[in-house]
Amino acid sequence: MLELRLVQGSLLKKVLEAIKDLVTDANFDCSATGFSLQAMDSSHVALVALLLRSEGFEHYRCDRNISMGMNLNNMSKMLKCAGNDDIITIKADDGSDTVTFMFESPTQDKISDFEMKLMDIDSEHLGIPEAEYHAIVRMPSAEFARICKDLASIGDTVVISVTKEGVKFSTRGDIGTANIVLRQNTTVDKPEEATIIEMNEPVSLTFALRYMNSFTKATPLSNTVTISLSSELPVVVEYKIAEMGYIRFYLAPKIEEDEDETKPQV
Amino acid sequence: MAGKSVSFVEGKSPKADFKTLPKIRTMSQIETLGILEEIQALVSDKLQVVSYKWLSRNFLVSSNVAKRLLAEFVEKHGSGLEVVYSLSGWLKNTPSNYHIQLVSGPKLAEAKQEYDGNCRVHVYSVQACIPKDPAALWNTEFIQAEELFKQPTTADNCLRDNRFCGILTSFVKRNVNGTSVRVAAVQPKSVGISGPPKHNSAQNNAALPSQQNKVQQSSLKVAQQPPSVVKDVKSNSTDIGVHDPASKPSADKEQISSLSSNKKKDQNDKSSTASGGSLANLWGRASTKPKPSCVPADDSDSIQNRNVSADAQICAREAVEDENSDDGAQDVNFRRASNGEGNRKRRVVFDFSDEDEYEDAVNLASPDPPKGKSSFDSEQNSKTLVPKIPNLIVDEPKKDEIKVKEEKTTNREPKSSSKSTIGGHSSLVKVENQLPETDAKDKVIDAAPNSPKRRKVMKTRIDDRGREVTEVVWEGEETEVKVESDMPRKVGSGTPNADNNTVTNTNNRPPAAKKSPALGNTAPSNPGGKAGNKKAGNAKDPKQGNILSFFKRV
Repeated sequence: MLELRLVQGSLLKKVLEAIKDLVTDANFDCSATGFSLQAMDSSHVALVALLLRSEGFEHYRCDRNISMGMNLNNMSKMLKCAGNDDIITIKADDGSDTVTFMFESPTQDKISDFEMKLMDIDSEHLGIPEAEYHAIVRMPSAEFARICKDLASIGDTVVISVTKEGVKFSTRGDIGTANIVLRQNTTVDKPEEATIIEMNEPVSLTFALRYMNSFTKATPLSNTVTISLSSELPVVVEYKIAEMGYIRFYLAPKIEEDEDETKPQV
Repeated sequence: MAGKSVSFVEGKSPKADFKTLPKIRTMSQIETLGILEEIQALVSDKLQVVSYKWLSRNFLVSSNVAKRLLAEFVEKHGSGLEVVYSLSGWLKNTPSNYHIQLVSGPKLAEAKQEYDGNCRVHVYSVQACIPKDPAALWNTEFIQAEELFKQPTTADNCLRDNRFCGILTSFVKRNVNGTSVRVAAVQPKSVGISGPPKHNSAQNNAALPSQQNKVQQSSLKVAQQPPSVVKDVKSNSTDIGVHDPASKPSADKEQISSLSSNKKKDQNDKSSTASGGSLANLWGRASTKPKPSCVPADDSDSIQNRNVSADAQICAREAVEDENSDDGAQDVNFRRASNGEGNRKRRVVFDFSDEDEYEDAVNLASPDPPKGKSSFDSEQNSKTLVPKIPNLIVDEPKKDEIKVKEEKTTNREPKSSSKSTIGGHSSLVKVENQLPETDAKDKVIDAAPNSPKRRKVMKTRIDDRGREVTEVVWEGEETEVKVESDMPRKVGSGTPNADNNTVTNTNNRPPAAKKSPALGNTAPSNPGGKAGNKKAGNAKDPKQGNILSFFKRV
C-alpha cells in the first residue's frame, strides 16, 4: 500500500514537465525515505535523478518498497488535469498494475481520481558515487536557462570553463561564436540572485546544448541552479525542490581530442 | 493497344515470360489468381515489397488493374501481412489541401478521419512487414525501373512507352520501327512554335502529351539509327539558320526546353506520370490534381516529375526529414507556380523548371533567378536573353571540370565530325550574332541531355567523426552517360539543340564543357552538403561521452 499526499501538487507537475522530454518511461521508486526516480535518456548520455523526501509530503505511507513503471508523457497528461493549487495524492496497492492520482481542490469541493496503467520497465539503476567537484557554480536558474537558450541558437555545444575570473559559457557555430562570462556576484538584494563560484581547480568541459536546454525545463522548480563540474565526471545540474528534495541532471561531457573545443558540428 | 504492346515486349522483356499473353489480355478472375499466388510467394517467401507499380510492370497489367489485384490479394491473403494504403483526398483543414499519403493498415481508419468527405483509398503495396526505412517501399520498383531503362533502346518496354499510364491519349501512336521518327519529332515542335501554346485549348492539351510521346519515340529510334542523326543535324542547322537570324529566341527555346524536358521525363521515367512513379510522384501530383482537365494535369505532372523525378527517390525522404534543401524548396516553388498560373501556363513552367533545374544545379545559392525566369518564360517573352546572361556568367568559372565534357566529345567523335561541319557554320553565325543567346541555348541543351543520365542517390556514410551523414548525390554512369547523352542530342537535333552541341564541341568547346560539369559536379555537391549538414545535427556524435562510462550499474 502506497499513499503519498503532496500539498503543493504543482511541484509534481513541474517535476514531470522537467523530465518528460528527456526520459519517456521511468520507474518511480518508493521507499520509506522518499519518492525517487532515476533514469537515463534513450541515448545514455544524460541521467536524471529525482528525490522527493518523505518529509516533504503531508502524508507519506509506503509499506514496502515499490517500483512503479510509468510512461512520463501519460503521467504528465494526467497531472495536467490537476489545478496548480490542488493537493495531489498518489495511491497504489501492492501488486496492482495501476496507480491513482487524486486531485483535491484547495477548498475540497472538487475531487478527481485518475487511474493510470503502470508498465514494466527494465530499470538500469546506476550507482552515483559521491564526488568532490573541481568547481561548483550556483547561479539564478533563469539566467542559466537564458544562456543555454541563447547559445543553442548559435552552436550545438557549450564549453563551460571555470577559472578564477568566473565562469565562461562559450559556443561556436556556423554564424559565429559567443562567449558569456559570469563573475562571482554576491552583493545582491536577494540571495537567490547571487552567482557563487567555488573553484578548487580550473575546469573546462564541453557539453551538448541540446541536453542542457532540456535540463532547463526544470527552471520553474527552483530559483537557483547548481552546476558542479569536474574534469573526469559528468556535469551535475541540480535544481532544489523546495525543502523536500532535488532534481539532478547528469550529463556526460563531450570528449575533446583537439583544441578546438567549440568546433561546430559540420 | 495493350495487345500490341504486350506482343512487342514479349520477346525482349524477360519479365514478360512470367505470364502468358492471353492471361494478360483477358485478366479474367481465374487467371489473376495466378498472379495473386505469385504475390503471395513474393511477399511471404521472398519478403519483397510488392507495390502496385511493380506489379503493373512485372505482370504487364495496367496500374489500375494492379491496384485492384493488390486489393483483392489483401482481401484474400491479407492477414499476417502489412499493407500500405495510398490515401488521397481533400483535407479537412482550411484552406483545404489536396493530400496524398501512404498509410499502413492499422492507421488507415485514423488517417481517413483527416480527410474531408471521401478520400480515395487504394492498396499501394503489400509486404511482410513495414520497412523501417520508407525508401525500402519503392526500392524494388526502382530497381525494376532501372532494369527496364537499361534495356537496349530498341527494346520497347512498358516504361518507355508509358503504356500502363492511367491517362492515355488517342493521339499518340507508338511508332515501333522508327521510320518516321524525324517527322514525328518535328511536328510537335511546330506546334510548340506556331501555336499559341499557352492557351488552354483542348487541342493544345491533347497535343502536348502526344508530343511527348513522339519525342520519346523519336529519341529511341534516332539512337538506334545513326544515319538519321546526320539528317537531323542538317535539318537542324537549317532550322537554326532560319531561326536565329530571325531572332525568335523564345520560340526556339521553347522547343528546346520542352523537348528536353520531355526527354528527361521520359528517360527518368521512374516518374512516368501515371504508371511509373515513386512516392514523390504521388505527392507531386497533389497540387495538380485539383485541376479539372486531366490532360494538362498529366503535363504539369511532368513538370513536377522532372523536378521531382530527379529527386524522386530522395524527395520523400527529404520531406520526412524536414529538410528544405534547395531542391526541395524549388520543387515547392514550382508546384505553387503551376498551381497559381493555372493550366494555361503549365507547359511553360515546365520548360522553365527544366532550365531551373539546370540553373539550380549551377547556382544553388540564388534560388531567385530561376523564378524570375520562369515568369519570363511563362510570359513567353522574347526577353529570354536577359535572364540567361547571368547563367553564362555563372557558368564560366567552372571550366576546371572540362574533362567530363571532353570525354563526351571523344565519344561522339565519329558523329560530331559530320555534325561539326554543318553545325559549325550555324554556330559561328550564332555565336557572333547573339552570344548570350547561343549560350543560353547551350545551357538548355546541356541541361537536357545531361540530366537524364544523372540520378540522385541517397548515400549514407560515416564521416571522419563517426557521424552518420546522408548525402544526396548525383550519380551518373559513364556508359549510360554516353548513350544517353547522345540520344537526346540526336533527338534534339530537330531543334537547334543538336547544333548548339555540335557547335560547342567544335568551335565553342569551353562553354559546353563548363556546363556539363556544372550540372554534374557542382549540383551534387551542394545538396549533398546541405543534407549532410542538417542530418549531422541529429546523428550520434562519437565525441559525446556516455553516462554509463562514469556510473556503474548497480
